[in-house]
Amino acid sequence: MRFRLNFHLMAWAGFALMAGVAGLSHPAPAADEWPTREITFYVPYAPGGSTDPISRKYSELLEKQLKVKVIVENKPGASATIGTGAVIRAKPDGYTIGLGSSSSLAYQPLEMKGLAWKSADDYQSIAKLSDLPVILAVPAESRWKNLDDFLADAKANPRKLKVSVSGLRSVNDIAIQQLNKLSGLRIATVPFTGGGGEATLAALGGRVDGTAGFAPGMKGQIDAGKLRVLAVFQDGKYDLLPDAKPIGETPWKDTFPVGYYVIAPNGLPKPILDRLLAVSKTIVESDEFKSFLKANGYTSDPKIGDDMKKELAGYDQKFREVVKFLDDDK
Amino acid sequence: MNSLQGLLYGLSIAATPGNLLAAFAGAFAGTAIGVLPGLGPVAGVALILPLTFSLDPTAGLIMMAGIFYGSMYGGSTTAILLNIPGESASVVTAIDGYQLAKKGRAGATLTIVAVGSFVGGTLAVIGVMMFSSLLAKVAILFGPAEFFALTAGGLIVMSRISGGTLASALLPMTLGLMLGTIGQEAVTGETRFTFGLPELAEGVSLVPVVVGLYGFAELMLLVEDRIHAANRPESVAMRDLLPTRTEWKRAVPSWLRGTFLGFLFGLVPGPAATLASFASYRLEKATSKHGSEIGSGAIEGVAGPEAANNSAATASLVPLLALGIPFTPIAALMISAMLVQGIQPGPLLITQHPEIFWGLIASAYIGNVMLLALNIPMVGVWVSLLRIPHYLFIPLLLVLSVIGTYSVRNSIFDVWVLLAAGVVGYAFNKMKFQLAPLVVGLILGPNIEKHFREALFLSQGDPWIYVESPIAVTVWLLVALILIAGFIARRRAAFAGAMAQESSL
Repeated sequence: MRFRLNFHLMAWAGFALMAGVAGLSHPAPAADEWPTREITFYVPYAPGGSTDPISRKYSELLEKQLKVKVIVENKPGASATIGTGAVIRAKPDGYTIGLGSSSSLAYQPLEMKGLAWKSADDYQSIAKLSDLPVILAVPAESRWKNLDDFLADAKANPRKLKVSVSGLRSVNDIAIQQLNKLSGLRIATVPFTGGGGEATLAALGGRVDGTAGFAPGMKGQIDAGKLRVLAVFQDGKYDLLPDAKPIGETPWKDTFPVGYYVIAPNGLPKPILDRLLAVSKTIVESDEFKSFLKANGYTSDPKIGDDMKKELAGYDQKFREVVKFLDDDK
Repeated sequence: MNSLQGLLYGLSIAATPGNLLAAFAGAFAGTAIGVLPGLGPVAGVALILPLTFSLDPTAGLIMMAGIFYGSMYGGSTTAILLNIPGESASVVTAIDGYQLAKKGRAGATLTIVAVGSFVGGTLAVIGVMMFSSLLAKVAILFGPAEFFALTAGGLIVMSRISGGTLASALLPMTLGLMLGTIGQEAVTGETRFTFGLPELAEGVSLVPVVVGLYGFAELMLLVEDRIHAANRPESVAMRDLLPTRTEWKRAVPSWLRGTFLGFLFGLVPGPAATLASFASYRLEKATSKHGSEIGSGAIEGVAGPEAANNSAATASLVPLLALGIPFTPIAALMISAMLVQGIQPGPLLITQHPEIFWGLIASAYIGNVMLLALNIPMVGVWVSLLRIPHYLFIPLLLVLSVIGTYSVRNSIFDVWVLLAAGVVGYAFNKMKFQLAPLVVGLILGPNIEKHFREALFLSQGDPWIYVESPIAVTVWLLVALILIAGFIARRRAAFAGAMAQESSL
């Protein structure tokens, strides 16, 4: 008897479920109805750095705009080329988009062969999310009180001062190399792996003289007085860390931020592309997104579609010059 | 705020209905995720992360922590019952756990593991609470040279992890090290041995290898048994679900040793929980009175590592909370969650967001109690799984393993790795090679290489860096000591054996 009751209940539940599914699913959705199902957003980096939070914030707001689930998936590896390639090679149906950085989009194609992209022509530019300036910090107990001290010491001791970076030829490494190139100084970089954490730890433990990285991973240490921030690699003052001397105030205009962008595969149907550009514009210009950027030290610099593409094409040239310098300096 | 006040404050936060529910949901979902082969703690936390954005930050982090503990525990269930480690930290649990299950002690073993996880987790939370600001300094003391000593020394010591002859361990270990070199070199990003396959650029991932070597191979052996003669696990009587008095007695010292060792591992970067369980197994073999039984089904071989991996998982909250630097993928996800919610992790977390700091610590207490309450009644259910007929059971596990492996990074390539590892595991079983050293090699190899290279970058090519720090030297001396002690012990045993033979003549 009891069994029968349960059976009936299950039959009803099953019927209700099927009815629900039938009600939700449209036969053969057309492009102008996009989106009808969840969207996947690939982050080509592991969580824990500066890339994951910004991706999740954008996705959260995209979810609100489009009223479908946006699934954030970390696909790290091979200097972010695996996840970036996964987006670029995906079916251009608007259901796969992802994060790109100035490094993965413009620098890696110079270093690696056989990638699915060589220039900004090989993927669809959607929106620039932000810039993030590189900062230079030293352990709190070190003898350098400000950037001038540090640079004077670097000048007196070429190749002796060591600065930890989060990976060989990562953007923070390149910022230091660019400084070397412009100033004639020779600051040695020490690449660590596993994100910015180990590079920061090396500075906290006094194994290196300083560390170059990004505010989201270092601000906690700076606030606590464990690290002293000396410089920010941008023109003007850095609101998040006002003690950092802008590199623009030195004779060398070494502003090499990392830019974060949203990309999609080439060939999106026009209605989908237009909608994606429009909602992305709303998001990156929204107060909620901007206050998230400000709180975490990202610089808002909204660029949609072709404006973003132009910027990335410019990065290509900038990276080529640094690579040439590094090759000549060997 | 001192520790006790802090804890009381934390309990007042963690004990709100919403947060209790978050802890329970986390522990429950975590256990389920851990039980599924392949799906480990990282996948579980990643799955739940978007959900936490709609919760308040404390509840979100409490839920993530619950999943973490739950899946650490759940992973050992399948290791014991089926010889399929649910995640890499339960590899060693499978060695003795499965032997115990074959002897009909599955229920007792699961109980010992549940209580051991509770003991390890709870003692570690006390440690975290009392000393977290002090302990954070430990992490800072460890640089590339110290890690190189720890990982390379660990490899040498663990070559004898699962007994057998030295050759039967060294060959799989070398294979593990070789597999570890595939993919991108950690520092420069050069790809090696990838044969142009983009999937290999990330390297051979651990989960499919572990599930394949142990799980798939075991399923093949089960099928074979069916052909030879039904070799079903004996049905378990109710009273056999509980450990005997001797089993309890033997487990206690192992729990304590494992907890202590795991705690130390949790403080430094690296795959703490996995390494802690391996190291604890090795320690049990060396120090336990029943050390010689380990490998053929000794309760110490399960109790120690399980307490160790839970203790390590908990202790790894120290660098996360005190430094704001993530050492494990899970800690990294938790930091991401904090940043999205507008909370700056770092040394000031305890003063700026005491509700998060103490709430998380208090939830670890509650989470451990919940896991115990959740899992002791489940022991009977798990054991009854063994009664499912093989013709249903084997295909079911096969499918679950494939799904679990695929879902870790949505890669069909990993499923092929799983199948290949299964064949290797089966062959190694038949040829009496040890499997654990292969896993040790695969885990430690890339770490050893990375720290080796980082150290040389740091010293700008000067090799003396490896023996310049007191910590590194101490580690190397310990390794030498363990090797010499082991050598003498084996010589003595051989000598005594020879004497016994002589006198019997």
